[in-house]
Amino acid sequence: MNIFQELLESPQNELVEQAVSDGRIPIGYSCSFVPEAFLMTDKLFPVRLHAPGIAGTEIADIYLSNFICTYARSLLEFAIDDRFDLIQGWVFVPSCNHMQRLIDNLEYLQKPAFSHVLDVPRKVTEATIAWQAEELRMLAARLSDHFGVDMSDAALNKAIAEWNTFAEVIQSIGDLRKRAVPLITGTEFHKLIMASLASPKNLILPKVLDFRKEIEQRAAVGDFRARLMVVGSHLHDPDFIRVIESQGGLVVADLFCTGSIPGFTPIEIETKKNGDPIKTLAEHTFKKTLCPRMMEDFDRRLKTIIDTVKEYQVDGVVIEIIKFCDLWGVDSMPLVDALRKEGIPVLKLEREYSLGGEGQLRTRVQAFIESMGK
Amino acid sequence: MTRKYFGGCDVGSTTGKAVILDENGTIVSTSIVPSEIDPEITSVKALEQACGQIADLGSYKNLARIVGTGYGRNEVAFANENVSEISCHAMGTFFCNPDIKTIVDIGGQDVKTIAIADDGSVLEFAMNDKCAAGTGRFLEAMSRIFRMDLDQFSLLSLNAKKIIPVTAQCSVFAESEVISLLAKKNPPEDVAAGIKTAVSKRCFSLLKRIGMRPLVTVTGGCAKNQGLIKSLSKKINMDVTALPVDPQIIGALGAAVFARRNGQRSA
Repeated sequence: MNIFQELLESPQNELVEQAVSDGRIPIGYSCSFVPEAFLMTDKLFPVRLHAPGIAGTEIADIYLSNFICTYARSLLEFAIDDRFDLIQGWVFVPSCNHMQRLIDNLEYLQKPAFSHVLDVPRKVTEATIAWQAEELRMLAARLSDHFGVDMSDAALNKAIAEWNTFAEVIQSIGDLRKRAVPLITGTEFHKLIMASLASPKNLILPKVLDFRKEIEQRAAVGDFRARLMVVGSHLHDPDFIRVIESQGGLVVADLFCTGSIPGFTPIEIETKKNGDPIKTLAEHTFKKTLCPRMMEDFDRRLKTIIDTVKEYQVDGVVIEIIKFCDLWGVDSMPLVDALRKEGIPVLKLEREYSLGGEGQLRTRVQAFIESMGK
Repeated sequence: MTRKYFGGCDVGSTTGKAVILDENGTIVSTSIVPSEIDPEITSVKALEQACGQIADLGSYKNLARIVGTGYGRNEVAFANENVSEISCHAMGTFFCNPDIKTIVDIGGQDVKTIAIADDGSVLEFAMNDKCAAGTGRFLEAMSRIFRMDLDQFSLLSLNAKKIIPVTAQCSVFAESEVISLLAKKNPPEDVAAGIKTAVSKRCFSLLKRIGMRPLVTVTGGCAKNQGLIKSLSKKINMDVTALPVDPQIIGALGAAVFARRNGQRSA
């Protein structure tokens, strides 16, 4: 497990360095609407942008208002500090106004050689899937022109197959959390997921397979008072999950931008056979991304949480929101009510991007578990 | 010692509180001590002081069961278990008056509102722990500006003829604002009323988040601030129900109730 922890200590870990020295091209991205498989084509590899251990955003605060979420501010701070100096291209989605301001400022301050904004629609229809596919085609053309990489259908199909192999392994580990006696803690799982998102897949895969072997031999992961699901926006720091689990609430399921449900669902082969990998990726991205930026999609988000609660035998749901996140801030209000109507206990937590106020977090979680009679 | 005693210890940021219950659930002693840097030392001092009042008990080590609560609860190594202060305030209040359904707990460094279920468990809670405004520390700082102790400051706003609003949200800036208001020769009691109104508004917004059901009470050290209670009653348009025991010990009392209940279950 320590290997995944170590891979999370820097935004550009040793596997990224290794891949770069092998001539590969890291592309930074920050939103789940950028299909990872797309950025695994030819010499490219995706790196989920995160800002581990950030202590403050003094410089970013000059450019971004205090009402911009701390995730956007943290990324800008790290960019200004050259903590992303290996990243050769940036692909963004203006998923919210905060992210848009980050893109504007990053392009203004850093003037990256390659930066691209995917204009993702806010509704899922045949027309918007076609739009998204067109957006990906434009990105493919720019990547091909700029980096000289092969973005042909054959290369994309190969990348999809590689991503599927990886996703199936992650999913098989995630399935172990459904057991009455889970073999992996939420903290361990989150370290695994985050390290996977921040590393070249081919280089981290052997380590993930070793880890799967190790945990399959376990009997259990200790005594816990309750089984919890965590729902919300970008959650990068596994310590947040660790604090929740320190109070006796085993996190057995998650649904957030950097989570596994439904983030690591393999791309359906049947759809892939239609001969258009870009359209397949466009469809898949809409299907596996449950984000409150999407209009008329609340019921699907709610149903996924309720289904997960049943499937993973969850006792209570923790909704975590980064302060000033408009999307989750608004969505969480009806979400809390709807879940409670279903008889599911809910704890809503507002937090900053980096973990702080551990004692207060512990108190809230402990009281929540106690209120469930656990 | 023939009788069994159960202890609850609330290790707060400003004070440590202990309550001892006998087998019948009667409060036999209580204590309040200033907090030390080490929460374990605070808990020992509070428990020793409470246990010292019971002739046939002696040391806290003879307690049948101890439950720790408060911010320092994890550091009370000798406690049999720890329970969050939110659950303990709910249980302590329920023990005193089962008709109370809503609590405002104004502690040294945070403010909580708690909705209580019919069995004394927690239905819902909200906390303000990111900012000192509205906490005991805030009122302490304000009383220093008026060159008063907390008891005097508690009564000051009762004589106010009008409320002079204190608009600064941050307690540091509120301090500057209050100094300026007093320097302009505004009546101290009117400025004090403004301070208490500001705190009441913060409590009110937290109450709205959990849904306010009567009866409402206030726990924690600030519940003794009469001016604040008057201001809060006005803000929520409802009487604040007084508790039959010192409101500062409610968390420790809840912990002692849990200790007795769980101790008798496991016996």
